[in-house]
Amino acid sequence: MMKKYFCVAMLMLAWAVNHPVTTWACSVCFTGTGDAVTDGFNASVLFLMVTPYAVVGSIVGGLVFAYRRASRKRAQAESEAIEHFALIQEDGLT
Amino acid sequence: MARDSTARKLDETPPLRGVKRRSFGGGKPPPPVRPHVPFASNLWLAVLMLLGAEAMFFAGLIGAFLVFRIANPVWPPPFQPRLPIEVTAVNTVILLASAFTIRLGLRAVQRGDRSRLVHLLSWTAAAGAIFLTIQGFEWFRLLHFGLTLSSSIYGGLFYTIIGCHALHVFGALIWLLIVWQKARAGKYTRQNYVGLQTCSMYWVFVVGLWPLLYGLVYLY
Repeated sequence: MMKKYFCVAMLMLAWAVNHPVTTWACSVCFTGTGDAVTDGFNASVLFLMVTPYAVVGSIVGGLVFAYRRASRKRAQAESEAIEHFALIQEDGLT
Repeated sequence: MARDSTARKLDETPPLRGVKRRSFGGGKPPPPVRPHVPFASNLWLAVLMLLGAEAMFFAGLIGAFLVFRIANPVWPPPFQPRLPIEVTAVNTVILLASAFTIRLGLRAVQRGDRSRLVHLLSWTAAAGAIFLTIQGFEWFRLLHFGLTLSSSIYGGLFYTIIGCHALHVFGALIWLLIVWQKARAGKYTRQNYVGLQTCSMYWVFVVGLWPLLYGLVYLY
């Protein structure tokens, strides 16, 4: 079943590649490539397509950075506390 | 009875990270009790989401600008005044310097240097105010030369994009002044400075956005 869907999808893709004019979804692409308005819309569409990925990637990157920094600080605080208690014990203060 | 079972539960708790718990026969002391601290505060997360939304808002404006800019080979359109590139370049440097000072202020509070923090926040606010003043002055000149919101697509795009950014700088400046007042009152410490941190994030975002807008609207 999956193979059948895959074949249909590949056929549609091949047809779209061979007939690009009929597969333009944009309502202002009627003039074809090379037109200034079309180029403007294409550039804008590309920019707006990429931006959400950049924004979400930045947010995820910020979260990962904050998590790693917090983990590093926590590990450092724990090791310092253990060293502190070990020193107290060696001095016979406990 | 209840106390016995609680004591048994505590006694059967596995040791934390390989540290031996204190026993009656000796051994190392228990690790210090510390509360669970989340890796990011709620305010920090909220500002991160806000910045994502702001980025998308400006992306929409930039997308609209790209359509009109690329669709018009002659840009700026004929009979429209030219934008003040040199003055705005100086203004850009001033705004970029303000991002530098606020980051230095964040480092100062991490070291516990309150007076330096207040000093650096004052410089940041002054730079933001100078930026807005110069922008406002240039806007008056452009209006005088005939570039209005309805004069052409050029004017409409300019005032919409640059105006939205100026509004954001104004909002960030008000936030910064509140943070400055709190810093003067000693509200920020080495352990608790999330208010300053989020304000710094927003300010750096607004400042970082400006060179992109300057390059697109003034130079492209």
